[in-house]
Amino acid sequence: MRGHALLIGLRIPGRSPVHRAPLWLKYLVLVACGAALVLWRSPGTTAVLLSLGLVLFALAGRRVLTAWAAPLRFLWWILLLLGVYQWWMNGPWAAFMVVGGMLAAVQLARLLLLTTEQTDLVDALGRVSAPLRVIGVNPEVVALAVGLMLRSIPAMLGCIADVADAARARDLARNPVVLAGPVVVSAVAFAQQTGDALAARGILDHGPGDGVPDDDT
Amino acid sequence: MISFHEAGVSVPDPAGTGADAVLLEPATLELAEQRIAVIGANGSGKSTLLRLVNGLARPTSGRVTVDGRDTVREVAAVRRRVGFLFSDPLSQLVMPLVREDVELSLKATIRNKARRREAALRHLGTLGLAHLAERSVHDLSGGERQLVALASVLATGQGILVADEPTTLLDLRNNVLLQDTLYGLGQQVVYATHDLDFAARADRALVVDAGRIVHDGDPHEAVDRYRRLALDPQRGRR
Repeated sequence: MRGHALLIGLRIPGRSPVHRAPLWLKYLVLVACGAALVLWRSPGTTAVLLSLGLVLFALAGRRVLTAWAAPLRFLWWILLLLGVYQWWMNGPWAAFMVVGGMLAAVQLARLLLLTTEQTDLVDALGRVSAPLRVIGVNPEVVALAVGLMLRSIPAMLGCIADVADAARARDLARNPVVLAGPVVVSAVAFAQQTGDALAARGILDHGPGDGVPDDDT
Repeated sequence: MISFHEAGVSVPDPAGTGADAVLLEPATLELAEQRIAVIGANGSGKSTLLRLVNGLARPTSGRVTVDGRDTVREVAAVRRRVGFLFSDPLSQLVMPLVREDVELSLKATIRNKARRREAALRHLGTLGLAHLAERSVHDLSGGERQLVALASVLATGQGILVADEPTTLLDLRNNVLLQDTLYGLGQQVVYATHDLDFAARADRALVVDAGRIVHDGDPHEAVDRYRRLALDPQRGRR
């Protein structure tokens, strides 16, 4: 199954101040910027947050800064459609606010993923989900499930690419219905293999962090 | 000690005949040797036999125990004793970085993050993989990936390792490297393989054919028996 490379694109290792910043601060900045975009809707806010995003990417190092433009390869047509529509309906400033605001939010969220280990994200989610324990939900399992979901997205993209290649090789490329069945079967097989791997490591039997005192600092 | 007590597995016949399809006929075994190989054709029941040991498959008749623990009723206790290595390491490696994946295995026993990280690096170092710690699991060669998967399994400290065709996807060099690593372990290792040289290195070998254990004993005799079975022209025509 291809597409795994997309997964590693999630994090770029480094020792920059952004990499070393505590996770809570990264989340705080992300939430604050998101709130600012919603509460103070103006071209100025959008411009400031776009600039802030760029500055933080630059602060995170050259490799992270280089990755800034990566999502534009996939999102450009959505942003273009949105921009043209908004310009037509509400004028150029509205188009800038919507498209720029969306790009700023996406980039700040990406910066969090690019500069944070998945283990730390999963651990933090586990801590935030701790109150769910009172209703019988294991927060560690919730966190692991989200981590697995992140892992599954690129794997599924790889699976779609594999199936599309196989269909193309048999001259079936134009029929999307042909792709649906094998993709679903591959997705189920992937889920089954992942479940087996977790079960075999005993992770599903007790949750990833059950049974030991929490002394994380 | 792994014990099969008349343990067998059957499933409803996929053809819908109403009868059961036998994946593994009931067998009684005591597996105590340090290195045990399981050989047989594709679909013969090797994987089913191995999965019974870790509780990934449940016997539909009889029972399987590991150190006296039932693999169905005490599955968590069994999995603390039995690690499992799959043929495709990518299906086994869950976290993006090598170190993070080993840390995931340690999470149940070491809660402190710094100590967990130290332990993960130590485990990787034991297999000579410390230099891969910060690499993505997807950037590794097939052999490195399988060794990392092995490190993740061994990190939990089980005394028994079950490996289902661990060398199938590896080239010759990595195949030999993994074999040597497995043979250098202190754990009991039970492995399925199509590599007959690898099987011949074992202390004991089982040959599984159409869900039945047809040979149990000397590995060289097992390999001969399997060769005869696999190359029998009469069987090919059936």
